[in-house]
Amino acid sequence: MGNLKDKYCIVGVGETDYSRNSGRSVRALGVEAVRKAMNDAGLKPDEIDGMLSYHGNDSTTAPAISHDLGMRLNFYMDCSGGGSSTEALVSLAIGLIENGNCHTVALYRSMNGYSEARIGGTPAAARPAAATITGPALESLSYGLSSAAQNFQFTFARHMYEYGTTSEQLATVKVIHSEHASNNPKAYYKKRVTVDDVLSSRWVVKPACHLLDCCVETDNATCIIITSADRARYLKQRPVHILSVAGRVGKPFQGMHYQCDPITRQAGYYGSRIVFRQAGVEPEDIQLTGCYDAFTFTPLLLFEGFGFARPGEGGDYITSGVMRLGGKRPNNTSGGHLCEAYTHGMNMVIENVRQLRHQADDSCPRWQEGIHTYDHREGGCRQVKDVELAMNMGWAMPALCSSLIMRR
Amino acid sequence: MTMYKGMRFVVSPVDSEHRGFYEHARQHRLMVQKCSDCGLLRGAPGAGCPFCTSLKWTWQQVSGKGTIYSYQIVTQAIQPAFRDWVPYAIVLVDLDEQRRVPWRNAEEGEYISVRMVANLVKPNDPTKPEDQENVAIGKRVEVCFIDLDDKLALPQFRLSNEPPEHTPWRAPV
Ligand SMILES: [Zn+2]
Repeated sequence: MGNLKDKYCIVGVGETDYSRNSGRSVRALGVEAVRKAMNDAGLKPDEIDGMLSYHGNDSTTAPAISHDLGMRLNFYMDCSGGGSSTEALVSLAIGLIENGNCHTVALYRSMNGYSEARIGGTPAAARPAAATITGPALESLSYGLSSAAQNFQFTFARHMYEYGTTSEQLATVKVIHSEHASNNPKAYYKKRVTVDDVLSSRWVVKPACHLLDCCVETDNATCIIITSADRARYLKQRPVHILSVAGRVGKPFQGMHYQCDPITRQAGYYGSRIVFRQAGVEPEDIQLTGCYDAFTFTPLLLFEGFGFARPGEGGDYITSGVMRLGGKRPNNTSGGHLCEAYTHGMNMVIENVRQLRHQADDSCPRWQEGIHTYDHREGGCRQVKDVELAMNMGWAMPALCSSLIMRR
Repeated sequence: MTMYKGMRFVVSPVDSEHRGFYEHARQHRLMVQKCSDCGLLRGAPGAGCPFCTSLKWTWQQVSGKGTIYSYQIVTQAIQPAFRDWVPYAIVLVDLDEQRRVPWRNAEEGEYISVRMVANLVKPNDPTKPEDQENVAIGKRVEVCFIDLDDKLALPQFRLSNEPPEHTPWRAPV
């Protein structure tokens, strides 16, 4: 981003409840999330003139949401996308403001990810009796290869073979994120779990995905609002400045990345160059991370890809305690996709925005004033003390990443 | 209509990257795309050559022999059609014909092979999945085919009698 460093800010965040039975349309969810982010920022409807969203044919559209909130937009785009789209849309929003199309952009993701359209497949009751396999799906569905856990499993298995990564190391990701979620009243799963709990949960796909290695599936909508630093100064919240962003950075051979070794290398290997160079910081400077934890394995590969751990040493990074609240560089302090909710990436960005405001919405009585106990025991505080610099690492698959570095 | 495990198996006549693959499979030949200009073999179907951008290519028969490069054991019927198969293996097979060609002068340490995804099935019955205990990285495999009708077949892999390429590895689970 070069000269755009510090010129744009996230000024509002909002989300619905995280549930498995919203009982509402994705339009109703989306409107609520956008409205909450707008109110969080202290903006009026006519002060938002751009809207971006991503979906997998399971969401609502920007025209619907802007209609329901009385907004007249100068630009909108509802993109096809999943993991790593949040950061990608942050990048697009900055471009829209920079080129004069808009001045303030809301981006959202709305999904009934449990009760309507589950990522691994629609609920059993809604499945057609006979599927049709055609086109590129011939290469996967013919072999019973359909879900995200399966799509990534060759990478996971090969990493275990090449580097000796263990199920216990992976389970530790879930354990730590569950500790963080226990201090997050919003989290869908607030109960702390043990390594044994993960290892004794049923298998979904061997060798890397027990049920508790997989993220939660939930109904929710999430929203963040971006504007220029000049405008941000006059809004309600302390602005969180964007130092750099990379959206949907790929490895070669996107058509079938398993053709290209090393298959255990995450695309963060490439994305890291963009975000660290443009932010002018190093991994060592980052005090808080947010990783797309669709599975326990995905943060491990992101840490290696982005240079927080050397190739093959992601397991050691996880068990070292560095990513635990109170550690040197906590990860997913809200509980992330494994415990808080599955939002296709946005809740980890929202969490880092609140952390950088020093307003993690935990059980500390005065969190809204930024006053915390920093007692991270169960049910307590989850604010990272004095955090100034945070990073998000998005995942769509092993060969695709995104990233965002923000400062207080 | 072509059916496989209760699913409609539709290969469009204009699907130039897939049609010939499944028709040759019915003759029990495993084919990959070969670039007519630079000769690169493509493990995954595509319309152009990632090495030289050539749009000209032909189907090239390969031996169907290879090594398991990675694997997974699916223990839950995420696709209902596979309910009678769980647990079943899906393998990523490194074919013998093209191993580790440097990509862009290997500036990033990247190498291209020819890899195919299929199930690992029983040597004597390609309609049955191999036992999970027998699936391991490094084991040698060979292609076999499930005939779907008189026009199309689905390639699969089975363990071969050759010794493993290296000490076989499977996760201790
Ligand atoms: Zn070529």
